[in-house]
Amino acid sequence: DSCSPRSIMAADPSAAAAPADPDGPDAVRFTWNAWPRSKVEASRCVVPLAVAISPVRSPESLASPPLPYPPLRCKPPCSALLNPFARVDFAAKIWICPLCFSRNHFPPHYAGISENNVPAELFTQCSTVEYLVAGPPGSPAPLPPVFLFVIDTCVIEEELEYVKLSMRKAVALLPEHALVGLVTFGTQVHLHELGFSELSKIYVFRGSKEISKEQILDQLGLSGGGRPGFPKMTQQPGVQQVNGMHPLVTTGVNRFLLPVSECECTLSTLLDELQPDQWPVEAGNRAIRCTGVALNVAAGLLGACVPGTGARIIALLGGPCTEGPGVIVSKDLSEPVRSHKDLDKDAAPHFQKAVKFYDGLAKQLVSQGHVLDVFASALDQVGLAEMKLAIERTGGLVVLSESFGHSVFKDSFKRIFEGGEHSLGLSFNGTFEINCSKDIKVQGVIGPCTSLEKKGALCADTIVGQGNTTAWKMCGLDRNTSLTVFFDVSPSERSGQPGHQNPDLYIQFVTSYQHPEGQMRIRATTVSRKWVDGSTNTEELVEGFDQETAAVVLARYISLKMEIEEEFDATRWLDRSLIRLCSRFGDYRKDDPSSFSLHSNFSLFPQFMFNLRRSQFVQVFNNSPDETAYFRMLLNRESITNSVAMIQPSLISFSFDSPPSPVFLDVASIAVDRILLLDAYFSVVIFHGMTIAQWRNMCYQNQPEHQQFAQLLQAPQEEAQVIINGRFPVPRLVVCDQHGSQARFLLAKLNPSATYNSAHDVPPGSDIIFTDDVSFQVFCEHLQRLAVQS
Amino acid sequence: HKTVLSALSCPACSRQIPIFPSIPVVAASMSRPPPPFTPQNPTPAPRPGGQSPSSTLPASFSNLQISRAPPPFASVGPPQGDGPVPSSIRGPQAPPPGARPFPGSPSPPGSLFACPAPSVQQSPPFGAPPAAQSLQQQRPPFNGPPPVLPAQVQRAPFGGPPAASQPLPYGGPPAAVSQLAPFGVSPVAAAQSAPLGAPRYSAAQPPQFSGLSGAVSRPSYSGGSIPPFGAARAPSQQGPYGGPPQFGGERPGLQTPLFGAQTAPASQPPPFMGVRGANAPAFGPPGWQGQTRPAASSEFIVKDTGNCSPRLMRCTMNQIPCTGDLLTTSGMPLAIMVQPFALPHPSEEAIQLVDFGEMGPIRCSRCKAYINPFMRFVDQGKIFICNLCGFSNDTPREYLCNLGPDGRRRDADDRPELCRGTVEFIATKEFLVREPMPAVYFFLVDVSMNAIQTGATAAACSAISQSLSDLPEGPRTMVGIATFDSTIHFYSLKRAQQQPLMLIVPDIQDVYTPLQMDLILPVSECRDSLEQLLESIPSMFENNRVADSAFGAAMKAGFLAMKPTGGKLLVFQSVLPSVGTGSLSARETEGRSNISSGDKEAHKLLQPVDKTLKTMALEFAEYQVCVDVFLTTQSYTDVASISVVPSTTGGRVYYYFPFSALSDPAKLFNDLRWNITRPQGLEAVMRVRCSQGLQVQDYSGNFCKRVPTDIDLPAIDSDKTIMVSFKHDDKFQENSECGFQCALLYTTVYGQRRIRVINISLPCTSMLSNLFRCADLEAQFTYVVKQAANGIPSSSLSQVRDQVTSTCINILQSYRQYCASVSSSGQLILPEALKLLPLYTLALTKSIGLRNDGRLDDRSYWVSIVSSVSVSLAVPLVFPRMIALHDLTSRDDEDPLIPNPLTLNSENIQDNGIYLLENGEDGFIHVRNAVNPATLEQIFGFSSLAGAPNLLVLEQFDNVLSRKVNEVVNEIRRQRCSYLRLRLCQKGDPSGDFFRSLLVEDKAPGGLSYVEFLVHVHRQIQSKMT
Repeated sequence: DSCSPRSIMAADPSAAAAPADPDGPDAVRFTWNAWPRSKVEASRCVVPLAVAISPVRSPESLASPPLPYPPLRCKPPCSALLNPFARVDFAAKIWICPLCFSRNHFPPHYAGISENNVPAELFTQCSTVEYLVAGPPGSPAPLPPVFLFVIDTCVIEEELEYVKLSMRKAVALLPEHALVGLVTFGTQVHLHELGFSELSKIYVFRGSKEISKEQILDQLGLSGGGRPGFPKMTQQPGVQQVNGMHPLVTTGVNRFLLPVSECECTLSTLLDELQPDQWPVEAGNRAIRCTGVALNVAAGLLGACVPGTGARIIALLGGPCTEGPGVIVSKDLSEPVRSHKDLDKDAAPHFQKAVKFYDGLAKQLVSQGHVLDVFASALDQVGLAEMKLAIERTGGLVVLSESFGHSVFKDSFKRIFEGGEHSLGLSFNGTFEINCSKDIKVQGVIGPCTSLEKKGALCADTIVGQGNTTAWKMCGLDRNTSLTVFFDVSPSERSGQPGHQNPDLYIQFVTSYQHPEGQMRIRATTVSRKWVDGSTNTEELVEGFDQETAAVVLARYISLKMEIEEEFDATRWLDRSLIRLCSRFGDYRKDDPSSFSLHSNFSLFPQFMFNLRRSQFVQVFNNSPDETAYFRMLLNRESITNSVAMIQPSLISFSFDSPPSPVFLDVASIAVDRILLLDAYFSVVIFHGMTIAQWRNMCYQNQPEHQQFAQLLQAPQEEAQVIINGRFPVPRLVVCDQHGSQARFLLAKLNPSATYNSAHDVPPGSDIIFTDDVSFQVFCEHLQRLAVQS
Repeated sequence: HKTVLSALSCPACSRQIPIFPSIPVVAASMSRPPPPFTPQNPTPAPRPGGQSPSSTLPASFSNLQISRAPPPFASVGPPQGDGPVPSSIRGPQAPPPGARPFPGSPSPPGSLFACPAPSVQQSPPFGAPPAAQSLQQQRPPFNGPPPVLPAQVQRAPFGGPPAASQPLPYGGPPAAVSQLAPFGVSPVAAAQSAPLGAPRYSAAQPPQFSGLSGAVSRPSYSGGSIPPFGAARAPSQQGPYGGPPQFGGERPGLQTPLFGAQTAPASQPPPFMGVRGANAPAFGPPGWQGQTRPAASSEFIVKDTGNCSPRLMRCTMNQIPCTGDLLTTSGMPLAIMVQPFALPHPSEEAIQLVDFGEMGPIRCSRCKAYINPFMRFVDQGKIFICNLCGFSNDTPREYLCNLGPDGRRRDADDRPELCRGTVEFIATKEFLVREPMPAVYFFLVDVSMNAIQTGATAAACSAISQSLSDLPEGPRTMVGIATFDSTIHFYSLKRAQQQPLMLIVPDIQDVYTPLQMDLILPVSECRDSLEQLLESIPSMFENNRVADSAFGAAMKAGFLAMKPTGGKLLVFQSVLPSVGTGSLSARETEGRSNISSGDKEAHKLLQPVDKTLKTMALEFAEYQVCVDVFLTTQSYTDVASISVVPSTTGGRVYYYFPFSALSDPAKLFNDLRWNITRPQGLEAVMRVRCSQGLQVQDYSGNFCKRVPTDIDLPAIDSDKTIMVSFKHDDKFQENSECGFQCALLYTTVYGQRRIRVINISLPCTSMLSNLFRCADLEAQFTYVVKQAANGIPSSSLSQVRDQVTSTCINILQSYRQYCASVSSSGQLILPEALKLLPLYTLALTKSIGLRNDGRLDDRSYWVSIVSSVSVSLAVPLVFPRMIALHDLTSRDDEDPLIPNPLTLNSENIQDNGIYLLENGEDGFIHVRNAVNPATLEQIFGFSSLAGAPNLLVLEQFDNVLSRKVNEVVNEIRRQRCSYLRLRLCQKGDPSGDFFRSLLVEDKAPGGLSYVEFLVHVHRQIQSKMT
């Protein structure tokens, strides 16, 4: 009875335990590992042809150390990099590009190439390879990373103290050569001139007025020849421009951005003296907070001082913007911050304006190559929904927490500055390019990037996300950063003819970026997959299906659609897709639901869809727009494995009876003598069964004879810590007991197989969920029935 | 010339005849006593020119008399006399034949000076005509000096301490009256600052103004119950007073009036020319009224007995014409000069403070005039009649008091508001729109490249730092500071912070304040950190390369910081404001390059370039922010535009050009210190009311006017004068009185809201001669100067000069036509009171404001200071005082500190001399070529002028001459309440030429000599009359 829902679910727990490196050496995962050749066939596959790639995943996975020479490129317009799939004629010193089949001569310095002397980029295991791009001799030292902190001071004293604490830790962790700047804001924006030693010097910008980049430069005395009195910026012959950075413009650098080693003291004094915003807040009003102008100023400053080099604006926000551009809510407290309902009904008066403002900011930052990170710590919303564009387009980090004192903020914030094993590997200023075989067209990318509008033959007609280009800017990227590239197949006349058909398709991803250590690097990943001929050959397609990737890609895809398409019914769309997919690839007899079964490659997929339908990505009304934006941004930028956890949390049981083991994400998994550990990505819940909780309350764990109990209590904590340590943003840890109020964090994620309707046949000690939602069993029954309909 | 000079310097004459009288002093002494000159009988003028009295000249020289000095009454010789042309207009400077009044007159050299001897001996101290005919006509009808004095002008008894000799008629101040806190005039510690502070009067110095001592009782006031207040009665209360006052006779010999110790030793014949019997009635019954006031520039002590001190308010004429026609005929202006915080003489009684409690001051219910000594109580005191509008008001029950037998309230002398011309009332709630503001001082310092490099910033910082201790004490005194170049830098001096926080406002097109609080703090809380900051500012900006200066924006930002309270914004600006709101351009060079487009438009450069700063200033004024601008500059700064802000907000421009880091810091400090310490009021509103028949035509001065009747003064201080001009809207009855009342509502620097009420009541006359007799020369001339200054930005200089000259001619012509005897038709006849008008007028046409050459900024600055200048400083500003410094050692220590001024004539300049010429603003030290190097060494510390800086720092060296020079300079500084900017003028140098141009009696390229001018005036009058 492989077709029963039970059997589908049976595969679940084991599959959820991820293999060592599910993404493979290339960190590339396809929804389909075998591609149909025709558009029609592709559309019949239901799940889009897409690739999730982490462009700069940790270098430990690379087969070779970085190559200290520049890559060889195929002749334009292909420009693909030499890769292991190229055919090489050692005798003629010629290589044939697998993507466009052009023949390229090796340059002179490859003269020594032979069968026995092959450069690293041609090794098969080196499908992903990294090049060090050394500038010409005499070029400046590696660029230091730039961190511009933007701190909200419209917070209560206590919160500000937390901020200061975190800031001090951060400053201590920063590499000595990193440049630091500081902007604080409340009613007005304070830009601190750190290079002024005699007293604390602050440039004050009004919060109510949008200010252009030129004005900022002018007012800070950083502009070129605009104003008399400032030295004219004349191009000096012989002085090289660094990434478009004008040599003299950098004079501003030592005023506002200083190496940590030079300004640690100043910073520390500044932080000591930092006070909550002094402007009065009228009763019944929100604090006047000009987040928009603050970010504006920060962006302008970076644009003036370090254009084109890696720099990030790290914004610590304690509340909503109520003043100037980017306002999300009025000062009057009687007006609540917009909800999804308001957005739906077009009843959020500030929303469109604010989005437009942040869109402009995003464009500016992207053109400068700078990142916006937002750490929002407030009980109410701060406007992430509006800022989403600016954060996502620049590849910024985002963390949402309740307070600056909460570990979600504290630990996450600390993490971005940490080096070593847990380092995020924050890289800057990346460019992501795709080269692929001719029959493949690029529809677009979902993820933290911005189109560079490099149009070409490879662009598809239909667009998904950032499309109509084959190159994207990734101002900020790190080891976790993941992009989803959507493809279309569009066989040319010629390739349609038998004989000319190449059995393999090739896709090459080229990412050039500023490594955390400052050098520019290029990483190229070239992958090859099989074409599947004909429409009948579902076997190969099924074999090549990656249900985890497919679920995540669908989740990302519908999130995008929900944002850009009005009245988009995500649940319905998902249901229909699932039914179509099951109809296409399921094993069944027509109109006989009981005959339905799925290949093991698909077996988890209905459950993913079931949980996706119930998830925060689809059921947005349970969350604030800020939370939704937050969840979606992370969904779009995380690896497949992590994203799966967002859609379908994992649940591990700890008990005396058995070693820790995954259990069903079902209310039935609750038992009085169990501890459950739920990893829902954003939160990690440790749930003590009633008996366990009682024992613990009676402090058995402290008694020597109950060491085992102590260990049992300890085990999920340790496990949770492992999860937390490996994750950014740091998830919220919830420790709760059965029937406790915090237990809702667990119950909300569980399959409601037992509700108050079925309470009579629940085994004692188990639990029920107060919901009218359908259970997975019911969902599957419906699915079976509809999938087999003729 | 040599003989002439030696004759003039004859010791015998020099003491008795003010050969070179200090013009202001002479004028003062002339007007100090009641000048009972009849129109037909003018006393010959003092010889301002230092010439011998004209009356002694042969008849044939009569035209010279005309041209040089007011002629004696009975004049001599036919108008067409062919007397010689005076030597001074002879020779190369002689006017062209056509210009000579009497063609063909020979001009024997030196003849003018050849025969003065007899008259010199007979001359009265003022150079009045001693001739026989004058004796006949001028013999006073009474023996002794006629005490027809303004009764309120009490003269301290000679010799005794002034204050002690003024017995208070009552045992003490009434309970309701508290003494006005004396304005702190702290003695100045620093040597350089000595001249500032209130003028100090040494016992030896005051040339006591003649008058009755308080103890002298008038026979006419026989009622024993009447306190011996002299004539301090409202006219209406003087029922029993009848007949001509008994003048003279009662004055103790010791109290013989002295008219300026410098010029009139007691041994001289009575300086009064006496009252001619025919004119006596003109004085009217109330003898203390309608008389001229002591000259503003003289020293006198006032006892307030109903009319206010003339320091506070003085009218251009001491009798008011009954009709507008009469006024028009006279050609004279009718205006009062109000200087509400004028410094009192230390011996004078302080202005008394009256607290009416919640009732508030008694006011006329129709015109809202405040209760004053001239309001008449009738019907057993139940009703009082307003002296301004004539309305009969019911006396409030609480204020009822019976009338005495003299018709006065019995408590009149116990109540300051009923017996004093000037009182202050505590303001009640209805005068408060908010809590009285604190005293806020916000300093704005230019730190642009030029300011730093010229040392201006350092000077400003040091001045501010030193002045902090002079700020009013108490928790209500707040300070703040900001610096600016192309951005504005605020400083938060909050104590909690370890170091000051510098907050930069970079948006200079649309400024804002960077903090809600902490920018302005009580001085007690932040003094130390402010001092530290001021010390570090010059070094902090040491390497500033920003040449731009956002003056307008900085003011706006400073204003925003002060907006909640108001206060004083003290701006130290060093360059032309080139960026931000209200930026200016170098119009001067534009003007120069456009010179071909005509001088016609040149005056446009003296107008503000646009309305930006004016609009800003109006907003400042609305929020009670007063701006003072200290321009420490070395280049054009467009004073014309900048000065709009201070002049609208009750402040002023201080101008240091060219700024010298060596000599100017001392002046800057003293100016700032005086600015802070002088008596002053904040958030003031002023209104002048007058009797029905007149109405206020216009106010003029440094203020902001929103409604026609009131003027708003964010700040008002002892140096500021407001001119109020009047016009008739009705007729006055002969012998009625016209009252003027100035009410100034203000907040003291200690946060008390008060109303200062200043009253004056003048008799009305329908006789033109009375008008001329009682004309107040200095007030009238001040009016002329201010009118001229008003005209400068809107008309060409030549037009303004013509206007000024024709004002003078019109007045004199009116006098000539209606008041002078027929027999004198061919002569220039000057009314006694106005005999110096032509000289002053000539000086005005040659003043910095009206002369053709000179920098635009200098002219604009002149215009700006004239707008608020007081009567006592207006004259010297135009007609400077020159004294010789080289022979100071020859003077006794008993002599007055300042030697007699020399006439402004190059003939008085000796080749071996060193001269100081001062106009209250600048002191020009002219060193002649043949001066003894030893003298030079003694005064300046160097024996050669080569390489000496133009801007001087006067040091005191250990020798008598140096000490005396310093004493003189310091005394002048004290008199002028101004730290003179000393400049060295050398011959053969532009500075020397400049000095020469200040000798206004000389012929100059752009102007006539005094003689020529008189000739010109005379001819104009004659041509008008025919």
